[in-house]
Amino acid sequence: MNKIHLEITVNGEARSMMVEGHRSLLDALREEAGLTGTKKGCDVGDCGACTVIVDGRPVNACLMLAVEAQGAEILTIEGLQPDPDTLHPLQEAFMEHGASQCGFCSPGILIMAKCLLDRNPLPSDEEIRFGLSGNICRCTGYTKIFDAIRTAGRRMAAARAQSVEA
Amino acid sequence: MTKHEFRIVGKSVKRQDVIEKITGEGRYTGDYHLPGLLSGKIKRAEIAHARIRRIDVSRALAYPGVKAVLTHHDVPRVLHYGSPHPRSASCTMDQYILDDRVRFWGEGIAAVAAVSEEIADEALDLIEVEYEPLPAILDIDAAQAPDAPLIHDVGPGGNLVIPPVHIERGDVEKGFAEADLILEGEFSGGRPVPTYMEPNVCIADWDGSNKLTFWTSTQTSFMVRGALAEVLGLPLNKVRVLVDHMGGGFGAKQDLFQHEFLCALLAKKCRRPVKMEFTRRETFLAGRSRHPFRLWLRQGFRKDGTLTAREMKIVYESGAYGSHSPGVTNVGTASATSLYRCENVRLDGRAVYTNTPIAGAYRGYGVVQTYFAIDIQMDEAAEKLGIDPAGIRLRNAVREGDIAPSGHPVVGYGLEACIRHGIRAFDWAGKRAADRHDPANPAIRKGWGIGCEMHGSSAYPGIKEQGNAIVRMNEDGSVTLLTGAAGLGTGAHTALAQIVAEELGVPFETVSVVHGDTDVVPWDIGAFASHTTYLVGSAAKMAAAELRQRVLARAAEKLQEKPGHLEMVEGVILVQGQPDRSITVAEAMGPSRGIPAEHLVASGSYMPTKSYSFAAHFVEVAVDTETGIIECRKVMPVHDVGRVIHPVAAQGQIEGGIQQGIGHTLTEDYVIDRTTGRSLNAGLVDYKMPLSMDMPDIETVILEAAPDPGGPWGAKGVGEDPIIAIGPAIANAVYDAIGVRFHHYPITPEDVLNGLRRKAAESSARD
Repeated sequence: MNKIHLEITVNGEARSMMVEGHRSLLDALREEAGLTGTKKGCDVGDCGACTVIVDGRPVNACLMLAVEAQGAEILTIEGLQPDPDTLHPLQEAFMEHGASQCGFCSPGILIMAKCLLDRNPLPSDEEIRFGLSGNICRCTGYTKIFDAIRTAGRRMAAARAQSVEA
Repeated sequence: MTKHEFRIVGKSVKRQDVIEKITGEGRYTGDYHLPGLLSGKIKRAEIAHARIRRIDVSRALAYPGVKAVLTHHDVPRVLHYGSPHPRSASCTMDQYILDDRVRFWGEGIAAVAAVSEEIADEALDLIEVEYEPLPAILDIDAAQAPDAPLIHDVGPGGNLVIPPVHIERGDVEKGFAEADLILEGEFSGGRPVPTYMEPNVCIADWDGSNKLTFWTSTQTSFMVRGALAEVLGLPLNKVRVLVDHMGGGFGAKQDLFQHEFLCALLAKKCRRPVKMEFTRRETFLAGRSRHPFRLWLRQGFRKDGTLTAREMKIVYESGAYGSHSPGVTNVGTASATSLYRCENVRLDGRAVYTNTPIAGAYRGYGVVQTYFAIDIQMDEAAEKLGIDPAGIRLRNAVREGDIAPSGHPVVGYGLEACIRHGIRAFDWAGKRAADRHDPANPAIRKGWGIGCEMHGSSAYPGIKEQGNAIVRMNEDGSVTLLTGAAGLGTGAHTALAQIVAEELGVPFETVSVVHGDTDVVPWDIGAFASHTTYLVGSAAKMAAAELRQRVLARAAEKLQEKPGHLEMVEGVILVQGQPDRSITVAEAMGPSRGIPAEHLVASGSYMPTKSYSFAAHFVEVAVDTETGIIECRKVMPVHDVGRVIHPVAAQGQIEGGIQQGIGHTLTEDYVIDRTTGRSLNAGLVDYKMPLSMDMPDIETVILEAAPDPGGPWGAKGVGEDPIIAIGPAIANAVYDAIGVRFHHYPITPEDVLNGLRRKAAESSARD
């Protein structure tokens, strides 16, 4: 089968790989790039477990062909931590609030929540619910996830305010 | 119980397994890759009931990239258990790896291994199958018809999975004779599926010594080991089952799903590792559902609401194979002896085969169905007798010393405490007296309802269970807990580590948990029946207590003090009353008189009987009388769990159970075409679950009303409970809102509109 040369930047690192034309971005990330943090829950765009950020926008990686991402900047769950010893405020809040149970949906939800907070630092409850409407979680009843996103949003806003003052 | 100051138990410490889940580093079975890995796929029948007349795989085998194809001609013909529990009442032996007969649409009939998933998929289409169609039995009535064809040659006949379960206590005729009110009704329910987020997946790899290493997403790794060994003819030490992180199971991942055997056999044939991963569609077709059911219930009540008699007949639809039907039928039927105390009961429970997807174990295990009916009829009785619905429940709530469904007396009953707490905290009386209209929308009617439940921790007496733990203190004072209990996402490993740290007297952070390797960890029956914290927690506590004694004995030598004078707190060993004399655990474990340091090991085994957890759920619904949509607006679950080990994890269990319970009651139903047996909504869009936009506010209350002496510091199970009470609570609230009774789930908008029309027609006929 003909393979296509794909160059993408994933979590700040330039990646070069050969992928078949029909390969989804999800499979390319998981199998070619070895980034298995992004999960395959349905492979047809229904569950949101494979949510990644492509050029600043949340995308179901199972619905995008890898070759469509040519030249793109991609952020996956493996790139959410600012550095290996520090968790992102969302990750901290997910730990504290018990927002992750089986954890299979967590990478997608964390990435989606990051998109949400990047655009809307202090979302209302309705905005959080709407923001996550494409992400299925079957363990938590969502309550703890909403709590965690609210907490992270507040902390991130406070940290920004502090850094502006400083 | 003596007063105990807890340092770790009861605190929501950081869950040890969660850090990996939120960084993406946690490995689930599908994330593993091995050199030379092949992809395995299953060819699934597109007919509900048939004999395979001919199956031709020659074109598939010749397809470039295909390494092996298996049909019923190529695999051992071993009749095996659908649910691989240790031999017990919950098993039926009625499955082959592959058969020459198809019993449901979607059953696996052949398997392919190829160098890629795409090639394996394409090869499936090249397999030619010729069927001899057989008449398909697609519902409970058809299965029970006198002339119904039999789906299985095994079993007691008449398409029954097991002989009927019959339970009789007291004198039912006398009970009904004493009744001032007798109610009778029929109830039914759809086919909810667990819909765990991680599709079933396994990897098989054989080594040169004919040993099988098997990664899989299962709640019961030792049962998988046992079933693989038995069917493949291997000793247990030649099958190593590995489970790392698991993306949910909710009970269903106790079974084997055909692909485990096929994956192992393909790997053996190809002499290469093979991975088999279900598509989401396959998790519906070949997964497990809750049992659809038909139930008839008749109860007698005195004027004051006291129950005098209960008679119930339930038929569970097992689908094409027995799976957990024996267990579900026994547990579900027995559940109707209790919750609301009744001396005179006569119960009949059956499970029947049909040519539909397999019903198995699913959170709530046969009890969701029975308590749905009982709790709705309780409301009907309250109305007829002019008693408050919460009041009639208080009058009849199961009490200390009553005979539990398991057959022995209830120890510690928390139901009354749950109801009383909820009445206050939910403002039950105030809400029920409030206006049903919503000023914001004239089409809305509001309503409030209550539902209750009790559920056992552990599967006793169906299964005589055993929990095991090994606790090891390493030379540096760090602690390793070895457990066979699966971590399906509940936080059980963290709870076990808390229990060990508490009992030992070491910081929580110094305890790490090893799990998921049947070659290493102690035998475990599996993570199900709300029993891990109760059963394995008790074993871990016992092991930690013994280890503590050994560590103290070692420290006593170093401190030249009697072990009985020492105590261990946060990893420091102190001489009681002499705070200046202490050593750390690490010092105690270090070299002694020139002899190198060593680790100390202790183990615990615990065989429980049963404890019961209790809950009362209070809900508010808003019914749109124009669209028929029922919105669940607020839920207050009040749960008695005896002793809470990790409050946030316990709340998470409750809130997740409510999410699934709301789904079952209002929107979730895996629909099977009644003429062909084909599934109509095998996907996450057409199978509608409550998601972020749908979930109500949940105000969870956890009580420690009735600790059980059998659990660690009184702890009982919490996993299954929340899914049970929410259903009848919603149905009762809907009645409160619009005055229409529903005896089935899911209650769809169409049902609501039809019900409202019927009610309007009835009232105009009266006028």
